[in-house]
Amino acid sequence: MANISQIQGVGLGLKRELIPQIQALYGQKDIANINFVEIAPENWIDIGGKKAKQLDWFAERYPIVCHGLCLSLGGLSPLNIDFLRQVRNFLGRYRVPVYTEHLSYSTDAYKGQAGYLYDLLPIPFTEEAILYVAKRIRQTQDILGQRIGIENASFYVTAPISEMDELTFLKAVLEEADCLLHLDINNIYVNSVNFGFDPHAFLSGIPGERIVYSHVAGHFQQTPQLLVDTHGEDIIDPVWKLLEDAYQRFGTFPTLLERDNNIPPLNMLMNEVNKIAQIQQQQKLLTTSRLKA
Amino acid sequence: MSQSIPSFQRYQQAFTAHIRDPLNHPRPEGVPAERMAVYEEIVFNNLLESISACFPIARQVCGKRLWSTLAHAFLRDHSAGTPLFRKIPEEFLSYMANASPEVQQLLPPYLSSLCHYEWIELLVATMPAAETAFDPNGDLMAHQPVFTPTMQLLSYDYAVHRISRRNQPKEMANTRLLVYRNHAEDVKFMELNPVTYRLLELLQEIPPYTGKQALTLIAGELNHPEPEKIILFGGEILEELKSQGVILGSKLTHTVD
Repeated sequence: MANISQIQGVGLGLKRELIPQIQALYGQKDIANINFVEIAPENWIDIGGKKAKQLDWFAERYPIVCHGLCLSLGGLSPLNIDFLRQVRNFLGRYRVPVYTEHLSYSTDAYKGQAGYLYDLLPIPFTEEAILYVAKRIRQTQDILGQRIGIENASFYVTAPISEMDELTFLKAVLEEADCLLHLDINNIYVNSVNFGFDPHAFLSGIPGERIVYSHVAGHFQQTPQLLVDTHGEDIIDPVWKLLEDAYQRFGTFPTLLERDNNIPPLNMLMNEVNKIAQIQQQQKLLTTSRLKA
Repeated sequence: MSQSIPSFQRYQQAFTAHIRDPLNHPRPEGVPAERMAVYEEIVFNNLLESISACFPIARQVCGKRLWSTLAHAFLRDHSAGTPLFRKIPEEFLSYMANASPEVQQLLPPYLSSLCHYEWIELLVATMPAAETAFDPNGDLMAHQPVFTPTMQLLSYDYAVHRISRRNQPKEMANTRLLVYRNHAEDVKFMELNPVTYRLLELLQEIPPYTGKQALTLIAGELNHPEPEKIILFGGEILEELKSQGVILGSKLTHTVD
């Protein structure tokens, strides 16, 4: 039976390019710090052939978490129940203990139908939207029979009709839906630059007890005031600092490296995986010495 | 129409309409152009990458400009119904089948056949193979041959498998292809002659024929003076297809104890 406690330490987003490299180095200490892997169900549901064999290989060796992109929790069209049933079967079949989605939307109601736009669009932060999204999260949790995590998304536009800031909205949805938080450290930083707030102050307002795991990643600086969340660069220092701050505030939690574009060879990527492990280790030592003092 | 929906959804409608069709739908009031442009770009580029990866030859024969026009029209005019990324190319095919006359007239006549052919490779590579029961040593002439579940029997009006930027078809040519995934999970393509195509077509009918029944029918259709020759020739083809993994064996015959 899948159990959330299987998700520990450091994870890596499973990209096509990385699969043969991980398979080749499996069991060697070079990649010992990869403790779990993450996949998007939208890429793997109902797959056959070589990819199905790869998925079986990983499911036998690593705990897998699912991080979705197209559930469209904030979307205009009704939740896709058929898709959610497929997700439920998938989680069961591959014994996936955690499914998370973005606090965003990826569909419209174009020409009266649910139309997928396959990207993460920003929900306006209004009271009505809180209730609407929370209801859909609860509906999702009912169908899946388990709590889901929602991720604080990166965005580039705040709706002029918003009635509150992102943190207030995020907390209200978490509370109203009683779901878990998939904390994206890089997204806090990206949004703090795009909208001019203090990322550490944002972090201090997070309900730490809801964190299921976190993401770190790099981003692209389009202008000094506009960061685009490409997951295509190395992680920058302010994001590492933010991760350390989060561990200090809430204790360590599992953390996964996302790299979706401009993917370097696995041995280069391991530098960042190992750095996460090292920060987690440091934090544990700090906590222990504090307890002893 | 949208007075009854909450204001945040009216805003979402305006936001997404602008992403799809910025020329005809202004961005929502108060949203800076520079920021809105990020969404226009990421949504479009994502779709463009997805179809370009599946249709590399179609992209080449269209050229960068026409391909981009087509991708914009796809985003503007088509409501994609699947959350699965690997099915975006299939959405593109269904868009092309229903594209407006203004778009259609820009496209080479063979483009939809070519795109279908390119998509088949993705389909066959990734489709789940249903479990099938068969006798691996069964007699293919006396019983019904069982095909690999990934097999696709295809007929096109153009020689789609020969198209490239330098070789664009000037005329139609009936082209019969077989595409399947072998034991090693590799996608294989075969060009078929009309007789073999007809044989495989008959063997897929319901209720299906045995190898010998199908070949006898074909000999009749051809008015062949020596049906035995067709049957002999056809038997060799079936064995050849079996050695390549297209035919798995014969249908299990139930025996009563």
